Amino acid sequence: METVALSEPVLLVLLSLAEQPRHGYSILKDIESMSSGRALLSTGTLYGALQRLLENGWIERVEEDSTPRDRRTYRLTSRGRRNLQMEIERMRHLTKVAALRMARKEA
Amino acid sequence: MTLTVYRWMLCLYPGSYRGEFAEEMTSVFLDAQSTLPPALAAKISFYRREFCGLLSGALCAHFDRLFGPAIPFRRFDMQPQFRFPRSTVLLMLVIFAGTVLTIAKASSIAGARPGSVWPSFVSVVVLMLLTMCTAAAVVVGILHALRRSGVYRLENVRGRMDSVESNGKP
Repeated sequence: METVALSEPVLLVLLSLAEQPRHGYSILKDIESMSSGRALLSTGTLYGALQRLLENGWIERVEEDSTPRDRRTYRLTSRGRRNLQMEIERMRHLTKVAALRMARKEA
Repeated sequence: MTLTVYRWMLCLYPGSYRGEFAEEMTSVFLDAQSTLPPALAAKISFYRREFCGLLSGALCAHFDRLFGPAIPFRRFDMQPQFRFPRSTVLLMLVIFAGTVLTIAKASSIAGARPGSVWPSFVSVVVLMLLTMCTAAAVVVGILHALRRSGVYRLENVRGRMDSVESNGKP
């Protein structure tokens, strides 16, 4: 099993890229709308997460000649998609436990 | 002016990081700034978030550069399987003891008159034992903290869930 992305910003970045390749500003806006304005990432946090994800090979840059250097696009790799799937599975387990606990408490 | 401050703060990042991301970050900052709502509170919140994010990002980037990404600096880096090997703790203590003994031996040989070596040697050994106990307590504390991390607890929950599912009872 690989390192699992656990922090909310990283998870949101991965979820944003799971749908389609995006550039930095598009990721920020997508995360904002995905979380109904609750999660607002700074550029420092966003690029810190992107750098880690690039280093770990979870995402990659889309190489296009026409893309300007300040607007590079990122997409999920198959490794990143697999790890995201694992993370979602882990969260599903957790919510299942939470539901069980709450049901026992109420019973 | 805020752009100047932003660019200045980017200088806090390591050079390689700046070379790779600074241009892109500045562009995203400008895009985000141009779509800010007119309310003063929103602007203050945006700049506070941006500048705090830059400071913490620069700090993390330097930590990564110095110690490598293996250091569990943020939750993102934690690995569910990570355990600090106990043999390493033992090895560290042995090395530490060897170093202190060597220093004690060297200082006793260097200076001193015959017959006066043993009292200083005993005090050094006592001091060494105390230091070792302190070091061991710190290491045990770190191990305890690691085992109490969110990741570890989640793994426990997952393990329990698996056993519940396989046995059909808690």
